[in-house]
Parts: sequence; C-alpha cells; structure tokens
Amino acid sequence: MRTPILRTVVATAIAVLLGGTSIAEAQGVLTIGRREDGTTFDPIMTAQNVDFWVFMNVYDQLVRVDRSGTKLEPGLAESWTVSPDGLTYTFTMRDAKFSDGSPITSEDAAFTLTRIRDDEGSLWSETYTIIADMQTPDPKTLVVTLSASSVPFLSTLAMPGTAVVSKAGMEAMGQEAYAENPVASGAFTVKEWLRGDRVVLEKNPNYWEADRVKLDGVEWVSVPDDNTRMLKMQAGELDAAIFVPFSRISELEADPNLKVQLDPSTREDALIINHTNPALAKKDVREAIDMAIDKQAIVEAVTFGIGEEANSYIPKGALYYNDANLRRPHDPDAAKAMLETAGETGLTLNYIINAGDEVDEQIGVLVQQQLAQAGVTVNLQKIDPSQTWDTLVAGDYDLTVNYWTNDILDPDQKTTFVLGNDVNLNYYTRYDNPEVTALVAAARIEADPAKREAMYVELQKVAKADVNWVDLYYSPYRNVTQTNVDNFYQNPLGRFFLEDTVKN
Amino acid sequence: MTAIAARPLYLRRFPGRTTLVVGLTVVGLMLLAALAAPLIAPYDPVFQDGTARLVAPSAAHPFGTDNFGRDVFSRVIWAARVDLQIAFLGVVFPLVIGTTIGTVAGYFGGVVDAVFMRIVDVVLAFPYLVLIIAIIAILGPGLKSFYIALALVGWVSYARLIRSQILILKSADFVLAARSLGYSHSRIMFRHLLPNALISSIVFAMSDMVLVLLGGASISFLGLGVQPPTAEWGIMVAEGQGFITQALWMTMFPGLAILLLSFGFSLIADGLGEWLGVKE
Repeated sequence: MRTPILRTVVATAIAVLLGGTSIAEAQGVLTIGRREDGTTFDPIMTAQNVDFWVFMNVYDQLVRVDRSGTKLEPGLAESWTVSPDGLTYTFTMRDAKFSDGSPITSEDAAFTLTRIRDDEGSLWSETYTIIADMQTPDPKTLVVTLSASSVPFLSTLAMPGTAVVSKAGMEAMGQEAYAENPVASGAFTVKEWLRGDRVVLEKNPNYWEADRVKLDGVEWVSVPDDNTRMLKMQAGELDAAIFVPFSRISELEADPNLKVQLDPSTREDALIINHTNPALAKKDVREAIDMAIDKQAIVEAVTFGIGEEANSYIPKGALYYNDANLRRPHDPDAAKAMLETAGETGLTLNYIINAGDEVDEQIGVLVQQQLAQAGVTVNLQKIDPSQTWDTLVAGDYDLTVNYWTNDILDPDQKTTFVLGNDVNLNYYTRYDNPEVTALVAAARIEADPAKREAMYVELQKVAKADVNWVDLYYSPYRNVTQTNVDNFYQNPLGRFFLEDTVKN
Repeated sequence: MTAIAARPLYLRRFPGRTTLVVGLTVVGLMLLAALAAPLIAPYDPVFQDGTARLVAPSAAHPFGTDNFGRDVFSRVIWAARVDLQIAFLGVVFPLVIGTTIGTVAGYFGGVVDAVFMRIVDVVLAFPYLVLIIAIIAILGPGLKSFYIALALVGWVSYARLIRSQILILKSADFVLAARSLGYSHSRIMFRHLLPNALISSIVFAMSDMVLVLLGGASISFLGLGVQPPTAEWGIMVAEGQGFITQALWMTMFPGLAILLLSFGFSLIADGLGEWLGVKE
C-alpha cells in the first residue's frame, strides 16, 4: 500500500512542479515563429528585415516612426529644433538608461551616427555623409550640422540602422561581441542567442518606457518551412507566427483558436525591366508589356486576392502615394498590335527567377503565359538566389521580379533608388530620364510640403508614363497569433511594437 | 533438357521471372503513357485556367488542378517523358565512362589502376547529391548540366564494379589463351573480358535508374534541373509543397508516379539479378 501512495504523491508533486513552472514561464513569454534566424545585432551591419524586426525591440532611436508609419515621434530625443536654413538640428535627450544602468547621453547618439557614417562595415554610410559635424555641448544636447539642407534627414534618423548603441559598451566589448549580445537601449535585452534556432529576449527593466512593456520576454524561433510553422500555430506550440503563406490565410481565419492579422505594409512587387535590351529600350514596347500583364490575375493567383493591384512605385498608404496614377487596362490584343507597330513581333525575353522562391516562381509562370498572349516568348531561368543579384547588377537579364519595402517613411529613399539614377542604375533597370533624375534631386530639398507632394505625384506619373518598370501588386504583412495574444502588430515599415503586445 | 532449352525465353521458368515481368510491365506502361502523352492527356500541360484553381480531383480533372489551374493529370503524363529521359540518359553516360575506365584499370593494374582508383576514392568521399549540386551550380541550372554532373560523379560506381569483375576474370584461361594468341590489349579488354564482366553493371544500372530519377527530381525540386513551366514530377512535388494541407493532390500524384517508376526499375534490377545470378 505504501509504495503506490508514495508514487502518486511524487508523481503529483512532479506534475505540479513541472506544470507550475511551465505555466509561470509561458505567462509572459511570447514565442514567435519566423522563417530564418537573424545575422547580427549590430544595426549598421545589416539591411535585412530578419535583423531589423528583432533588434528594433532591443534598441531605441532618437526619432521613431509611429504606428501608422506616416509620422515621426520622439524616441530617445525628447524634442528637437531645426535652424531656419535647415542645416542645424539640435536634439534634447530624454532621461533614459541602457540595460546596464548607465545613462544614454548625447555622446552615445553622436557615436551611433558617426559609426553609421564612417565605419567601414556600415551598409548605410552613403545616406549619412550629409552629416558634416556633430557637437555634444552637454550630455543632454546633440547638435547635428548638415552639409546641405535635406528634408528627409529626420526620417533617415528613424531608419533601423541608427538604433542607438552604447559607446562605452561597444568600446569595452568590441564590435563583434556587441553584435552578439548588445547593451540594450530598447524594450528588451538579448538573454540568449542560439544561432540558427532562436533568439531569446527578456524585458529590459532599465528601459525608459518599461512601464509600457507587458511581456516578460520574447522568443523568436526559426521554423523555416511555412507549413510546419502554421501547423505549430494550429497545435498551439507557438504564440504567434509571421509570414503566413497567402494560400493558408482563409483556412487560418476560420480556426476559432487563431487570429490572423493583416497589417498594411510598404511592400511592392514589381517586374524589373532591363532598358538596355534594344527592344525594351523602346517606350512602346514597355508600354505593351505593361498592358499585356494582367495584374489582377496575379493578385488572385499569387496572393489569393489578399494583395492589391499596384499603380505606382510608391506603395499605397505611404507618404505622397498618388491614388490617381495611371492603371493601364489589361489588353493583350492592343499590346500585340503595339508590338507589331514597334517592329518587335516574335520578341523573346529572358526572365530570371530566384530559385526556391515560391512567389517569384508563380509570378514568373503567370507573366510567361500572359505575355505569350501578346506574342512575346518568355524563357524562365531559375537562378540560385545568391547569384540573381549579380545578374541584375551585370545587366544580364531582360525581366525579373523584385520587391521593396520602405525602410524610412520619407519617399526619398525609394525614389532615389528607383528613379534617382545613382550608383545602382535605377534598381539596375538602366532607366535613364535626365528630367526625372533632376526632379528627384529637387524633391529631396523642397521644404514646402505641398510643393514637395506635387513633385512626388509628378514623379509617379512620369515613371508610369515611361514604364520604368511594371508595378505589379502591394501586399500586407501577414501574421497570425493565438486568440490570447493582443496588440501584436507591425507598422507599414515592418517594426513590431512588442512593447504593446499582451499575452493573456 | 534440350526440350526446355528450346522454348523461347519468355515461356521459360527462371528465377526472378515474375519480378522481372512485373517490373517490365510497370516501366513499359509508363513508357507507353509517355509516348502517347498527346493522346492521353486531356489538357495542355502548361495551360492555365484562372477559373479552376486548386480544384479537387473530379471527372473533369481526375488528379485535380494546381494553383495556376493546370490539370495535374495531364502534367503527370507529360512529365513521364522528361523523367524517363532523365532516368535513361542519367545512367547511360556514367555506365559507358565507368565501364571503360574500370576495364582499363582492372586490366592493366599497377600505376593506371592506382591513379584511377584514387580518383574514384576522392569522388566517393563526397556525398553524391552534394557533389552533383556543386557541379550544377558551376555549370548553371538545366538538364544538360545535370547529365554532365551525373557523368562526372556517377561513373565511379561502375568503374569499381567492372574493375573487380575484370580482376577476377583476367587470370581465367580464356584470357590467357587470347594473350598467347597475341591479341591486342583493346581486343582482349573489350571483346573478351568486358562481355563477361558487364552483366553485373547492367543490373546495377537498373537500380541506379531509381537513384538518378530521385536525384533528378531532387535537383528540379531545388530549381536546378528542369525549368518552369515544363512539367516534371520533382518540380510538381516542389510546387505542391506550399499547398500540401489544402491541395494534397498536387504533390500526391507526381509523388506516386516517382514511386511507381522507381518500383518498376527496382523490380527489373532484382529480377535480372536473380536470373543472371548477380549479387549486388
């Protein structure tokens, strides 16, 4: 008699202990499933969303982009003033501490900006060369002097790369160690990073907005296969998952235990055209291609109707988006006739696809069939993703699909990249219209918001008229959570506001 | 004895006969389906019907449709042409190269043998598929690169197999006789030794077809083989993967086709082996 009782007692005790701890742990820790693991916590060494989306909850910035993705709000800088000539910005720092307890001073902010401008490993230095000088008269004041007036400057301060790092911490630890386990200025600190598997974050009690943070911690778990990740959601093994495949949304929406969250994004998928191809150099041919492509069919087949037809390179919902921009009607017969008039019957084009990218492949197969109806032969060529960018840079392609999500809220960044004709040759399209190039430069420094908006509307119209590329579709961020998770969302620039997320 | 021997082969009883017959029937039927694809397939394999996406198997679409509204049945049938070609060409080149090298190495021995066998060791030291992927990555994706990669990697197994047979046979009396008659090396190697050593390689080739078929499917799955929109079973499985929970038919039918053809080749290999007394 004694043994079974003892066994029962021990078993119960173990169950209570185990159950107890797991409940306590699960209470405030949010597990989020995503595709791949990040690469670094050094803000200047990366341009990838996998990194941005995680470290933006570990760092704060001088200036932040708000939830709507259209306005700037104060971050570590409590307030700022701009001199009338637009050259001098004076920031007042708020009382804030790093995770190690040391105060965040203007010196740290100056160090952060100097690094992104001057460090050899910085991927963003070009954007910040406009900073001519920085002064820190006292720990609360940062004075930034620009070499030329720049309207988007404040927006660039809200780019993830300028996340404020600790000068003392970086100098003591060295760049590499800091990139692994940084001194945090944001809502969470890095507790553990198991490369390739998960990043474990823990609430930063020294964060200046610590009251706002409800979670005890966050675990970003890598579950590369989309289906596996969704199955784990359905089985309740994850609290949230990002990158919900388009094809699964209606099914998950029907699941009473799950909430599907579609947040507006700045993602635009576009068909990139190589203007150096003699046929594609003709505007009529590009126009015919635009007309031959049925964007609505792509929206339906690829995004299952969740995306939206694109009519401008500036994504819908982003600053200065022109809703009235031209939408060429889908008309393969007219396209065919235009191609004949242009002397391009029997046109054959080489279309590069990122091997393994499901969406890329689907768009490719659809575009191939659609262009065939206008008499254009498209040869699809799958290339390893590590090499596709090189093909683009080398101009060794006719068509390809690529996407862009804005990193800053000002349209200047994408506009420069797509139409500004600088080092990247307009997204490697080699599109060259000197008037557009000049307008991009003028819009960058136009101080009057109304005039500036008009300039960007004009740019959108001209780009469409010239068919710099073919705008395909906009698509939202697609996330799913368990029903007990509230306020799990992204702003259009992709930042997760985990400081607001609650797990009940 | 003579009465039995006089009966044609297909009526004779021999070990492995049933296995061989079943295997040949399976492969034969698939070959027939591939050849008659335009007659059997109800739809154009690349035709997209935007109004009939992800339709479950029905009378109109026996294997359902994929996410582009393409008929899966038609695609599976047309893909048989590509996959049978992969299985055949993927084996022929390694077989020819491997057999030649194995014969020369086994016959001459010494330095020639040592050099070739060390090359074999080096190639075998790498995982099969990884090496093939690496070579395709250098040559660029496509079936041509796949065949070249297979020829460069696949010959080693044949070379080893043939060499071991040649080593056994080369001291046999008929070889000594041929030598004493003053026949040339190549005549002895390819007229006298090879025909006797080849059987095991042929049997191995049959089971190798299974590996090549799966290899081809894997390569296409990774986007390095057949290019879209051409139907190929491996590609079809890859394309269906994203839809596996709501459209199982997209992956299931091409998957079954791969299974069936592999099964057929395996049976032929087993049957041949049993009949000819070859141990793998």
